[in-house]
Amino acid sequence: MSREVSPKVDPTAVLEIEHLTLEGMDISGHWNRMFDQRVITDYDISQLDRVTDLDGGESMGWCYQCAQCIAVCPVDHVGSYGPRKLYRKLQVGVDLFTDPDLWLCTTCANCLRVCPKEVDMLQIAPAIRKEAVLAGNVPAELQDVFEKTARYGNPLGKNAKRRAAWTRDLDVEVPVISEVGRKVDVLWWVSDYPSYHPRGIDASKALASVLAHLGVDFAILGAEERHDGDSMLRAGESGLFEMLAEQNIETLGKYEFDVLLTTDPHAYNAFLHEYPARGGEYNVVHYTQYLAERIEEMGLDQSIDLNITFHDPCYLGRHNGEYEAPRRLIEAQPGAEFTEMWRSWENGSCCGGGGGGMWLDGHAAENQSMRLSEKRVLEAVETGADTLCVVCPYEVSRFEDAVKSTNNDDALQVLDIAELLAQAMGLASAG
Amino acid sequence: MPEGRIAVIGAGPAGLEAARLAADLGAQVTLIEKNDSMGGMPIQANYAALTHGFRSAEEAMGEMISAVAEHPNVDILTGTTVTAMSGSAPEFSLTLSGGESLDAGSIIVATGFRHFDPGRETQQYGYYEFPDVITLADAESMLKEKNFVRPSNGEPPERVAFIQCVGSRDRQIGNEFCSKVCCGISSKQAIEIREQVPDARVFIFYIDMRMYGYWENEIYWPAQEKHKVNYVKGIVTEILQKGDKLVVRGEDTTMGRPMEVAMDIVVLAVGMEPSQGTRDMAGILGLGTNKYGFIEQDHNSLDTVATSVPGVFAVGAARGPADLDDSIATAGAAAAKAVAFVSAGVLA
Repeated sequence: MSREVSPKVDPTAVLEIEHLTLEGMDISGHWNRMFDQRVITDYDISQLDRVTDLDGGESMGWCYQCAQCIAVCPVDHVGSYGPRKLYRKLQVGVDLFTDPDLWLCTTCANCLRVCPKEVDMLQIAPAIRKEAVLAGNVPAELQDVFEKTARYGNPLGKNAKRRAAWTRDLDVEVPVISEVGRKVDVLWWVSDYPSYHPRGIDASKALASVLAHLGVDFAILGAEERHDGDSMLRAGESGLFEMLAEQNIETLGKYEFDVLLTTDPHAYNAFLHEYPARGGEYNVVHYTQYLAERIEEMGLDQSIDLNITFHDPCYLGRHNGEYEAPRRLIEAQPGAEFTEMWRSWENGSCCGGGGGGMWLDGHAAENQSMRLSEKRVLEAVETGADTLCVVCPYEVSRFEDAVKSTNNDDALQVLDIAELLAQAMGLASAG
Repeated sequence: MPEGRIAVIGAGPAGLEAARLAADLGAQVTLIEKNDSMGGMPIQANYAALTHGFRSAEEAMGEMISAVAEHPNVDILTGTTVTAMSGSAPEFSLTLSGGESLDAGSIIVATGFRHFDPGRETQQYGYYEFPDVITLADAESMLKEKNFVRPSNGEPPERVAFIQCVGSRDRQIGNEFCSKVCCGISSKQAIEIREQVPDARVFIFYIDMRMYGYWENEIYWPAQEKHKVNYVKGIVTEILQKGDKLVVRGEDTTMGRPMEVAMDIVVLAVGMEPSQGTRDMAGILGLGTNKYGFIEQDHNSLDTVATSVPGVFAVGAARGPADLDDSIATAGAAAAKAVAFVSAGVLA
């Protein structure tokens, strides 16, 4: 998986001498400009053919190098990468099936938004990754998550039976549907991080309080819920996705409910676009959409003195067109100020967690100048906001880590919208 | 009824269309062609399929020739040139190469272009040195015969490169204009090569791909997306021989790297220059020309066919680089204007 190193460079022979002067001229740092450019001696089109021959890979061959994708590709902001560049690499014979670039796409969809030729990385990246997965060429950290998810039904490798453990010690009741024994209005698809990750659990508790306060007739699946599989599909493990989808559709088929309420935009995306073709059709809503319809009933009367900025999740915004529901909820918070980041709405920059990126932190560290979550946190800090509001369970942990690694602990807190709402509603279990 | 004969000089696509339409409008037309047969460049240069509809050139031109040949209002003089002109509108008198004279109320010049000769100015691409370096016109002939092979050995090529803008957009050569059709024709030929020699890989080296209008989606996109033609930005600087291959040298500009890649055939996308006939007619008829030798058009007049001489109209590639659509469209405009001119004696 290592990059090809030019034979003209012997790293051990390179000396970087501070303030090296030659004939009176300071040439420090100039050594790396003194190598000959490698000459392109062949256009080995077979690599491009390998990709365009794949089911889903066809549009890779459509790129006419307009380069609009590069300016909006979050990975290019922290390195050198993007669909236009991938196309050229393939044209000069780079084997993308074993190249580190293969794992950099977060399927954030910003390239497709601007691409005049509709080169569709959302199809291309999973198609190539699927082949790499079959060949066993997967970064170890991602392979580990595939295996954990297959074994335990969640990417954290947590005990499936303890999926509802977070509901204990709550002052509101979170019923498990198998114990309810009747139809419910709302089946809440909690997802993995909100069930197991400490900060995800904070948000889940807050959302449970909000739902209970609203008098919603809801239940969760508890131990029967499994990972939705969407990110596994984007990461190339389509077999795992199919297995999870089949299990989840079977589980959901056992119960009666009107609304399938999802915390996770990735799950929302899967239920909306992937499950119906496999027999699973639900009235699926994201929790921000559900709550945005009930702002009047929430009793948001506690002033919260915060300057909030908001990160659009790729799979809620660009993938599914929902930008307004979370903003309506933020703007309904009494006393709060709301400041947009310069990249927001359709151009919101990715947190790096999509498309398997959630589990490729080491790979990103090796191939990028910084994590996308760190880049995004710096943008949030730049607005002057003190609170970064998120509505995707991948993000609380990613952004909190990034706040720490960029030394912004004192400047920025990361809160799920449910935590903010619970505060504004004056609910005890908030935050 | 229109009074006064209309003389159309040149029986290529534009001249044929001008003659047909003027005759349909009731005018008496004399069509003068220096070659022994009609059809112009598509026939003379053995074009295969026309850009951009991929219709057989022979078939399409055959229809145009028949329409004129069978028309009662058209006299056809092949193997004939105009050697002198006297008088002025609406009473021109042309002297023909046989010595006879022809009275005309209006004249339409449809004398077209010639392909740029890639050996004329610089030899950087070795057109007269390497047999496997050919031009678009050479490639057309081979594609028409369905025998696209390396001229050096008769073998089908594995790698074919097109080099765009040869003889166009070049201050040193003196042709600063874009020849307009070469991007489309190269792409059209690339498609034909991929169809006739499926194992051949085709590369097009370009500065800008100028696929205006529907050529974009009807030629360029299918070439790339369906026929897997490879477009590389940066045209080739020079061609060198290495063993039995041609090595094209240049810069791959979007990679920012030098490029030296072996090819079996290199097709030079040569542009347009005014034909000898266009230069001769401009001189004989006293028409203003631009610095490149094409018949001058007053760009401010919004008249696409007028010349500096009232009653004389210029159409098609005699006016500058033109595709077939341009040529046919200007021919129609000139036919209508010429008929109006001879009917009413209106000075255009």
